[in-house]
Amino acid sequence: MRERARATSTTRRRWLAGCAGVAAASVAGRVGAAPPPRIPGWPSGGREEEPITVDLPQLRYDGNWQPRGSAMRVLARELRLRTRLEPVAEPSSLDAERSELFETPFLYVAGDEALPTLTRTAEANLRQFLDLGGLALFDAADGGTDGAFVRSVEALLGRIAPGSQLAPVARDHVLFRSFYLVDEPVGRTAAFDHLLGIQEEGRLKALVMRNDLGGALEELPDGRAAHPCTPGGTEQRQWAIRFGVNVLLYATCTDYKADRAHVETLLRARRWR
Amino acid sequence: MTETWSLAPGHVPSVPLLLLLALCGVVALVEAGLGFVQRGRQMPRSRALAVLLLRLLAIAALVAIAFELTLRFDRVAPSTRRVVVLVDRSASMAIPDTANSGATATRQARAEAMWAASADARAQWRDEGLRIDVRGFSREVEALGGEAAETLAGEPRGAASDLAAALASLGDDDARPGERLAAVVVVSDGLVGTNDDAASAQLSEVAARLGVPITTVSTGAPQLRDVSVAEVRAGEFAFVENIAEFEATVVAHGSKGESAKVQLVRNGEIIAERSLRLAGDGVPQRVQFQVAPDRVGQFVYEIVVPPLAGEATAANNRRAFVVKVLRDKVRVLHVAGRPDWDVRALRTLLRRDPNVELLSYYILRDFDDIAREDTEALSLIPFPTEELFEQELGSFDLVVLHNFDAVPHSVGQYVDNIAQFVEDGGALVLIGGDLGFSDGGYGGGQMAQQLPIELRRPVGHERARVRPALTDAGRRHPITAWLLSGDGRAWEALPELDGYNPVALRDASGIGATTLLAHPGELDERGQPRPILAVSEPGKGRVVVLATGSTWRLGFAPELALVDGARPYDLLWLGVVRWLLRDDSSGRLQLETDAPRYRVDEPVELRARTLTAAYAPEPQVPLAWTIEVLRGVGEGSRDPAGEGEPALHAGNWVTDELGRAQQTVQGLPIGAYRATARRVGDDDVAASTTAVERVFIVEAPGRELGRIDADPGIARLQALAAATQGAAIDAADGGLLPESLPTLASEDAAGRVTARREVALWGGPSALLLLLLALGGEWWIRRRAGAP
Repeated sequence: MRERARATSTTRRRWLAGCAGVAAASVAGRVGAAPPPRIPGWPSGGREEEPITVDLPQLRYDGNWQPRGSAMRVLARELRLRTRLEPVAEPSSLDAERSELFETPFLYVAGDEALPTLTRTAEANLRQFLDLGGLALFDAADGGTDGAFVRSVEALLGRIAPGSQLAPVARDHVLFRSFYLVDEPVGRTAAFDHLLGIQEEGRLKALVMRNDLGGALEELPDGRAAHPCTPGGTEQRQWAIRFGVNVLLYATCTDYKADRAHVETLLRARRWR
Repeated sequence: MTETWSLAPGHVPSVPLLLLLALCGVVALVEAGLGFVQRGRQMPRSRALAVLLLRLLAIAALVAIAFELTLRFDRVAPSTRRVVVLVDRSASMAIPDTANSGATATRQARAEAMWAASADARAQWRDEGLRIDVRGFSREVEALGGEAAETLAGEPRGAASDLAAALASLGDDDARPGERLAAVVVVSDGLVGTNDDAASAQLSEVAARLGVPITTVSTGAPQLRDVSVAEVRAGEFAFVENIAEFEATVVAHGSKGESAKVQLVRNGEIIAERSLRLAGDGVPQRVQFQVAPDRVGQFVYEIVVPPLAGEATAANNRRAFVVKVLRDKVRVLHVAGRPDWDVRALRTLLRRDPNVELLSYYILRDFDDIAREDTEALSLIPFPTEELFEQELGSFDLVVLHNFDAVPHSVGQYVDNIAQFVEDGGALVLIGGDLGFSDGGYGGGQMAQQLPIELRRPVGHERARVRPALTDAGRRHPITAWLLSGDGRAWEALPELDGYNPVALRDASGIGATTLLAHPGELDERGQPRPILAVSEPGKGRVVVLATGSTWRLGFAPELALVDGARPYDLLWLGVVRWLLRDDSSGRLQLETDAPRYRVDEPVELRARTLTAAYAPEPQVPLAWTIEVLRGVGEGSRDPAGEGEPALHAGNWVTDELGRAQQTVQGLPIGAYRATARRVGDDDVAASTTAVERVFIVEAPGRELGRIDADPGIARLQALAAATQGAAIDAADGGLLPESLPTLASEDAAGRVTARREVALWGGPSALLLLLLALGGEWWIRRRAGAP
């Protein structure tokens, strides 16, 4: 694929880019410069062209691999709307046996029943995926009622990340403030007040969400929520979206929000408990 | 020769048994005496006397048996005695100073004059049976004979004067058994050992243990003109761009009120200078230098006071020390315009390095993102542009602008600050992508002249898979030379990148604009390959431009081809950071010494290490090494026209299987040296990696000329003489050696036993037979006399 940047007529993004300087100044609390004037015929840069996007791929496997069909699409939309991250509009799905697994260092794995036994190649690929720095998010669509999916995930992680310990992620982990200040990892349900994860060398390699994050994200074709969130309803859904945003910001920025300057600023503003 | 005899017991019983035996002996003697005095009429006096004698003989035989008595005969030769004269041969003896009489002479000359004028006294010593043993002492003791012993003539050059060691070495002369040390004479300026109390206590202890009178002759005079760098306080390590303090103690004599310069010199170049108004005699004056080393490495620093007119010596006007300048934690400012996988990869890499202090600001929320009602839930903080790019910029070593559109975020106005940061020695990385080069933010002012690529016009972003080509410059450059590892085709096995910015290399050879990685097929307007990775070196700084935002692909791919066990992504960025920061450890040839400073005669060990382009050990590499004097640095002033002087030591190495080689060098004289190692016959490696050097100092064990004022030395020698019942003589005042030298008392000087013969009185049957005969004879006489 080959797409060259072209100067185009005024677009929404171009107009917004022009305003960006002033807006940035307001964020920084000071008056700033406006962007330079455009010169006809010059390449006008990436703001007018399609930005570098990130995919939110989901793992395909034999069985119900997509219990929450639109979850990643909704999360991608919310990320575009809320952050400067540029997810693709239609996240892909992939087969762990193929090299496409390594197109993105993030992988979403959902299920409402036990995972089937993956092939040796698939497991080897997943193991290399984690070792090279990938992050896998496992999402239990049962919301904590069954547990078969989580047990199968634990067994899988035992094989692809031997020696690693799946343990609760502490509440003060940077994952809970990578974009929003989130208290609990709620999803469609709030059965568990914590999520599980594998941490090695200062980074999370795998996350296991047992409150059905996809269920909170999924929408019907008309845009309404596909499932009610219990017990918090609409507000809980908002917090689930925020947590989903945090996961992707953590995936792209790692522990950026653990930098001392950020922590001190947040503490000064008393916005971080 | 005389013969003496003595009784020696072979066995001494325990005290109770001894008392019991003594009691028995007394009783036997009393009883024998009473028997003689109270003899009857039937016992004539002659017979009673015989009985008494026989009884005494029996008692003596019993004693001989009980105490295993031996009769010892010694042949004793008459005793000889000697006096050891210790003459100071240290460099301070060559100092000229002035006596109260106004006469100026070196201390050595004063010692020689005193020695010659004391010829009569020495003759008197000999007449009294004293043998004169003359020895010179500095760091070690050497025997003087012939003319040197007769005149004390010589050139005092010793780097130290260890009188305590010299005294401790005295004792019986094995070559002359029986000869006794009777006295010691010390001829010195008294500046022996260090000036601290511990050294004085050690000297007193050694002198007391020797147990003979020590007569001292002080050769120093009270008036002196000299400026000395007596002490230097400096750490072995300093951090680049951080303030390091060096402190010198200057001691002057005979120059009160005069002005002197105190200079701080690095590798022969003056880098700081202070003026100093000299204080009174012997008053220590501290001079501090605060400097911020501007580059990493190992340097010989010196504190130098240019000599005043008429100084006693210039040898103590400078003092050298070695400082290794290290990089403190590298402060990196990482600013990214958008979160993506490339940001994730670089941040992970930088965070993993414990030597990196990372400060990141990523633009997480754009102005066209929905302003939701959940602002309070955000963990975002303002982007402190002014603080970062106006106030704190100089505190960073490396600034990474990662796909960052400067203009919309009000950073455009600070671009000149960033350019100045680079001009002053900062390191800058510009990473492209869809935002980075899109708004022309870096295309104006000074920065445009620093970049290796043309950014005066905004540049778009091509989304196309591309595998960059290694240029000729890239094959030699430390950043990319690792691609030549193995079969040299490592790049071809690497994953493709996702896209690139179609930039063009600037025609700017003045700043070393160079393309290391280029687009494999696309050319710019001038027909040059479009750079993917380009570097430049404007001013004191360095710049790297990556015209792609997808180098993360080099670390995340199936069947990733590792290079010497490392991910290509890690190697690329390791090379980038090391090159940007001029990291001393980035060289593929490394040289170390086992210490930065050595005492003279201490072995110096050189260790070399060779690395492949991927920083793995490189075996079987031929190297050449040299050690040469560091010009312009040293204890003494060296010949400035020494360029081209052959190396003191040189040799060749071939590294072992772990890429190591080493050499031990001995016998280097005092001075500062440069050790150099060089790859031999490797034209394919960048010049910067072919030779490395280290500096080190060989110095005296003490500071012989640090403090040369004679007064403390005179006092020390007087105290030594007084403590050992010797005489204290002041040669500067015309004092001579005494004809009657205080010596060890003659009764303590016993004769020499040349032969010994022993007769065991208790051994064999003789003692028992004597006992039986004595007792039997007494019994027979008493029976004949009819006594009971």
